[in-house]
Amino acid sequence: MGSMIAARGSTEYRKNLTQIIGYAVLICVLALIPLITKSSYILHIFILTLIYTIAAASMRFIITSGQIPLAHAAYMGLGAYISGVLSKNFGISPWLTLIIAAIAAMGLGIFISFPFARLKAFYYAIVSLFFGVGLLQAIESLGKLTGGLSGITAIPTLFNTTSKVPFYYLFLALTVVSLVILYRLEVSRIGWNLKAIEQSYLVSGSVGISEVKYRVLAVAVGCFFVGLAGGMYANYNVTVSPSSFDTTSTLWLVIYVTIGGMNNFSGPIIGTALLFLLPQYYRGLKQFTPFISAAILFAVVYMFRDGIVSIPGLIKAFYQRIKGNSTK
Amino acid sequence: MSEATILLVVASIVNALVLSSMYILLALGFTFLFNIMGILNFAHGVIYMIGAYICFFLATMVGVNQWVAMLIAVIIVGLFGIFMERFVFRPFLGNINLIIVVCIGIITVLQNAISIATPYNVQVTPAFVQGIFKVGIISISWERLVFFFIGLGLLILVLLFINKTKQGLQMRAVAQDMEGAVLQGINVHGVSALACVIACALAALAGSLMGSYLSLTPYMGSDIMIKVLEILVLGGIGSINGVLFAGLIVGTLDAVLPIMVSGTATQAIMMLVIIIILLFKPQGLFGKEVRA
Amino acid sequence: MKIIEITGLTKYFGGLAAVSGIDITVNEGEVLGLIGPNGAGKSTLFNLITGVIQPTSGKVVFKGKDITGKRPHEIAELGIGRTFQLNPLFPNFTVLRNVISSFQIRPRSSLLDTFFNTPVYRRNEAYILEQSLEILKLVGLYKVKDELAKNQPHGYQKMLGVARALAIKPELLLLDEPIAGMNPDEIDNTIEAIKRTSKLGVTIILVEHNMKILEICNRVIVMNFGQKIVEGSPQEIKDNPEVIKAYLGSGHDTKY
Repeated sequence: MGSMIAARGSTEYRKNLTQIIGYAVLICVLALIPLITKSSYILHIFILTLIYTIAAASMRFIITSGQIPLAHAAYMGLGAYISGVLSKNFGISPWLTLIIAAIAAMGLGIFISFPFARLKAFYYAIVSLFFGVGLLQAIESLGKLTGGLSGITAIPTLFNTTSKVPFYYLFLALTVVSLVILYRLEVSRIGWNLKAIEQSYLVSGSVGISEVKYRVLAVAVGCFFVGLAGGMYANYNVTVSPSSFDTTSTLWLVIYVTIGGMNNFSGPIIGTALLFLLPQYYRGLKQFTPFISAAILFAVVYMFRDGIVSIPGLIKAFYQRIKGNSTK
Repeated sequence: MSEATILLVVASIVNALVLSSMYILLALGFTFLFNIMGILNFAHGVIYMIGAYICFFLATMVGVNQWVAMLIAVIIVGLFGIFMERFVFRPFLGNINLIIVVCIGIITVLQNAISIATPYNVQVTPAFVQGIFKVGIISISWERLVFFFIGLGLLILVLLFINKTKQGLQMRAVAQDMEGAVLQGINVHGVSALACVIACALAALAGSLMGSYLSLTPYMGSDIMIKVLEILVLGGIGSINGVLFAGLIVGTLDAVLPIMVSGTATQAIMMLVIIIILLFKPQGLFGKEVRA
Repeated sequence: MKIIEITGLTKYFGGLAAVSGIDITVNEGEVLGLIGPNGAGKSTLFNLITGVIQPTSGKVVFKGKDITGKRPHEIAELGIGRTFQLNPLFPNFTVLRNVISSFQIRPRSSLLDTFFNTPVYRRNEAYILEQSLEILKLVGLYKVKDELAKNQPHGYQKMLGVARALAIKPELLLLDEPIAGMNPDEIDNTIEAIKRTSKLGVTIILVEHNMKILEICNRVIVMNFGQKIVEGSPQEIKDNPEVIKAYLGSGHDTKY
């Protein structure tokens, strides 16, 4: 796949093959879900998981370049609002608004990130946090168009049915396609250049990798997909309100990525799935649910800094140490 | 100028001064944490909120005098700062992602705990100071003046502490060059803990006062952190001068603009002003050259 | 042909002149040594040439083109490569990946080609892989190609830095303290590698403390306090009392 340097038959190639097969199986299982369950609520949770997986994965893509975009949820909101407003107030087909939302988010992202592309990580984090707040407030302030703090309702949706099943399949397809694109980019020269810049902008510059160009590129791609996620959200959820896209939402995206595993492409997928699906088991606790979630966060972060994806590796290393000791 | 206008102007100025001093106390604490430990304390808002609620609970449920309540809140939260340095910040220094996760964990726990514990909607801590100060036609509530002077006094104290005391000097050393400070035998962990205590104490104090000046909600931390964010971005993260200067600007705009334009427009204008300045100086007015 | 011409290059940091009024001309194929005590301004000069920092005044002309103040990646594209004194590589990449990532300029795949994984892109990547392995063999790092760069011993890391710089096929190579911290074997290997690179026609400017490097230079410039003190052949420099004074202070024997 891509430009991965793996000779046939090598362990690297076999690992890739196992991963591909694993994902294929996963997709098949996911495709069967609507046939297994009739519960509209379960489908709802899965749909949200899909949407936020795109958002989290796109955020991680930007993070590989060394900058944490803390305005990301606001861009999702931008996509959601553009999609909602265009289809509700201007009668544009919801399908078209999805693309427009993605492109608009991408455009704004490129425009805003340009002056700040060379900022060091911590400063970029704060400035982008600020821009996220600003963007959301800008959206809120266009009250006539966007309904201010209460948001928009009754957005025409992609499918004229109360059933969630078509949404599920469409979003599953979109998620798979988005993730494949993000993956291909990451293993291409572009992805490697982003990781190079993250490690040393000096060395990167000295071999001709333009820090600004690649960081803006990362933001462009990341914002495109999160704008798409926003459009998907608006078209499925029928209502959008600013509180879904505030700073806390962005920080939760960071959590999905970090808990899953920042250094692995599957990290955001696992993290989002875990933090959407697991709470379903204890949502019966009503107001105490957030405490369990917080406990999970603390547990993972104190025990597995590299995220859940690192657990298999840790177990293997542990086993090997035990085996090594027993042969002595 | 009509009498009403004068009163309005004076009221606005006083309001601006009070707000500015509170924002500055918060932004200062945040800046300390950033300079000394390299931490972006996303939980700063809930610390402020918890300080406000502890003071409120003590003053209303336990019946303690508000000032004493505030003092106790400051002490409790200040001590919590030691806990935070050791268990929340130290394990994750330098890693923004992990810090975000723990901070959100803390925010989630505290905000929800308070939400559950206070089912009523609006809470206000009883006034700290009663009475009105009258000069000519101008009347200002004593409380506002007192708050402002407390804010100012603390600010001066903190600045003196940093510049004149041995611990303050150590803090500046660590802020400039952590490795060098270690080599000089400075106990970096101790300095960091002290910074945390100061930052948390200032936040708790501001929270306690604001609990009376405004009101209390579990989300008051998030609201005020937006203001603090504006100050940090405008003034330049890490710069004390920036905090002072930008704090004054933001507080003033915050108090004066709502008179002239609507609430949301105020925010929009402020954001716009800051963004324009950022386009010329991405690192903020007083920020160091942080372009990589 | 004059490869690079520096005139009046000056850089102030606050009130301190790190580099002031530097005039240097280097001809094609030369090996120029830049020596001087710590703080003399040598690394600053490199950073000024390669666009890492902007000069306060002065001009840098490369192959007849004014490159003063251009950004580092543009300088690299024009054919100037460099190594770094500290942190000369991508620590979390493997040794091989370090070199592969350095093949950014020749050949260059466009963003579109990369994005769509076109045959052009795949051909370029295959070529780059092949060339990277060749370079690693050249500098003697082939056996550690799949190891993480940050785990390599200091000498290897420095050689990797040179390998990286060569990947952009530069016409002018700036080496920042290439043999600092190396043991005598590594020093000999590195000097050999530099000689070979020079034979390929690459113009080299190298910064060093170690006087041993002088033997491979055509010309040497001595810097101190941001200024050019002396310029001449290696032999002339070795015997020059001014140089000795700059390194050791006055009042010392000329023999060392």
